[in-house]
Amino acid sequence: MVRGASLVVRPDELVALIGSNGSGKTTLLRGLLGFLPPLAGRVERRPDLRIGYVPQRETLDPLYPLSAYQVARTGSWRDLPCWRLAGARERTRTRAALEACQAGDFASRRYSELSGGQRQRVLLARALATDPELLLLDEPTAGIDPEAERGILDLLRKLRETQGLSIWMVTHHVHALAGRADRTLVVSEGRVRLDAAA
Amino acid sequence: MSELFSADFLFRNAILGGLGVALLCSLLGIYLVLRRLVLIGVALPQASAAGIAAVFWLTGHGHAGGADTHLIALAASLGATFTALGLLVAGQRRARSPAEWGVGALFAISSAATILFVAINPKGDIEMAGLLRGELLAITDGDLRLVAGVLLAVGSLFFLFRRDLLLTSFDPEFSRTLGREPVRYDLLLYLLIGGGIALGVMMTGPLVVFGFLVLPALAALRVAPGLVAAFCISAAVAALSFLGGFWISYQADLPAGPACVAVAGACWAASSFLMRLRVRRGAAALLLLLAALGLTQGCASRFEAAAQRAASPLPRGTLPESLLPHPIAVLPFSNATGQSLTIPQGFLDDVARAMGSQTAQRRYTVPDALQQRAAFELERRGYQVVVVPVEQKRTLLAGEPLAAAGAGAPAGFTGPVLAGKLRRFTLTGSGLLLVQLDLALIDSQSQDVLWSGAAQRPVPIPSALTWQEILLDAGAPIFADAFGNR
Repeated sequence: MVRGASLVVRPDELVALIGSNGSGKTTLLRGLLGFLPPLAGRVERRPDLRIGYVPQRETLDPLYPLSAYQVARTGSWRDLPCWRLAGARERTRTRAALEACQAGDFASRRYSELSGGQRQRVLLARALATDPELLLLDEPTAGIDPEAERGILDLLRKLRETQGLSIWMVTHHVHALAGRADRTLVVSEGRVRLDAAA
Repeated sequence: MSELFSADFLFRNAILGGLGVALLCSLLGIYLVLRRLVLIGVALPQASAAGIAAVFWLTGHGHAGGADTHLIALAASLGATFTALGLLVAGQRRARSPAEWGVGALFAISSAATILFVAINPKGDIEMAGLLRGELLAITDGDLRLVAGVLLAVGSLFFLFRRDLLLTSFDPEFSRTLGREPVRYDLLLYLLIGGGIALGVMMTGPLVVFGFLVLPALAALRVAPGLVAAFCISAAVAALSFLGGFWISYQADLPAGPACVAVAGACWAASSFLMRLRVRRGAAALLLLLAALGLTQGCASRFEAAAQRAASPLPRGTLPESLLPHPIAVLPFSNATGQSLTIPQGFLDDVARAMGSQTAQRRYTVPDALQQRAAFELERRGYQVVVVPVEQKRTLLAGEPLAAAGAGAPAGFTGPVLAGKLRRFTLTGSGLLLVQLDLALIDSQSQDVLWSGAAQRPVPIPSALTWQEILLDAGAPIFADAFGNR
């Protein structure tokens, strides 16, 4: 449970939510997503706010026979009614998202056969394909090697700069964030202990 | 191929109905396997079987009964499946325990309930075997229409909601951020799975349903390069397995359901073997599909030949050709065996009869079934027939000659009548049916005997277990013997 959190999501900002395991970071993120309604207080957001979400990689089942492209394509289905076939617009948006995440080279490979870093890029591309204004990421660098981790963080920074996205990410890899996050929130024992601009 | 769909072909309904159920299960099975709900695929058919067993015990129906039986079985199957599904979903939402616990408990309870309901059913073990194997041969035209409708509905819903089902199955949280509530699509999927299982169990039994829910999907997911390909391969494997298995069972006189499941198992083993050989997925899928298409075509052509044979009229044997233009009234057969030969009825009907209820069903006996079969066999030999209901005919007295039955022709009927007297109907422990059936064609006006014949040869029926199966298997040889077809 998270208590006493008072936060504002601003445009064009890369925010890192850091803290140890069980501190309440993911709970806070899920509250922002609307998955966990607040027991007290409120979450205010524009009804038409477009959120792109990148969950932890482990939650996705590798049994599904999907290529990286097919996984990323699901993000382009946000406004697609069930009776309409996906067309050129969805394909273009998916390709662009994969290219932006430097995942175009392995787009045809099966998602379950990719490395941790590659999968993360595909999930990021899927979130970008939703055409988001706010990007929320849950532990995007967990379980990947330091080089891939730096690559992901640089990519997020670049996306913030080129696409004007507001990006909030949960992590406990404080050292890798140096010079990349605009703002850092430290969560501990269910409370936001520090909210500091870089 | 058109002969396969001819109403004259004895196995038409069994093949088309079973094929429909196999295809239905193969589509549903993909999501069942991907969502790791395979155990539900075992437990729900068993719950459905328990529901059918309970209602059959109460109403005294059997798997190979008429149209009302199938309606009752479908209602029981649907009721039991959705009750079980509702309990599982509710339990999963409320409890913190793993889902398998509830599924395991449901399977154990359903299996025990099925056996107990069968044990207190007058049909006993015979009904148990019928329930587990399903009664493909008892599929009616109405059932066929129902399977086609459900298959069309499931296929359409799968296509219409293909994106939503994939999104909510693969990543439910992400789908929520896109405005797709997983609960809604979970319900849709459960509705499709529950409906498909209930319908499938009613027609083919829990073993076939579980087998076709799991094995074609497993084989397809091994080799498929994508999800659409997985659906196509699963359907192709199911079609192959069903046709191939049915053909094997037809040739080797084996139960059809288990034979079909065994072939599906072989397909799964083949797909695993191909992947072990490190054959590329696309190539492995192509090999499996080619084998499926080739074997399906081979089996279909074999059935076509059988259908052509079935559609051509049988030789008349010793029956008089002069009667071909006249309709023959087939009278109820009399029973001179000294046994009641009653086909067991249900608990509620027995109670109603014991209470003297007028609405209780009349006892249905083996001679009644043979009368129906005689009419069918005469039609196969080109004669026109009228079946005379039991209520319209006086009973022959013991020792009265068969010719006296001619006086029992329906009022106003002036043509020939077929009378029959069953003298022996004994099933031996070695699977032989000892029959003595005397038949006579009598002129209803002059009381002259126009033709007489008798069936006396023992009939082997090694795999028949239910009364319906015994009569179905033995019917053709009994009348071939009586009508002089050697």
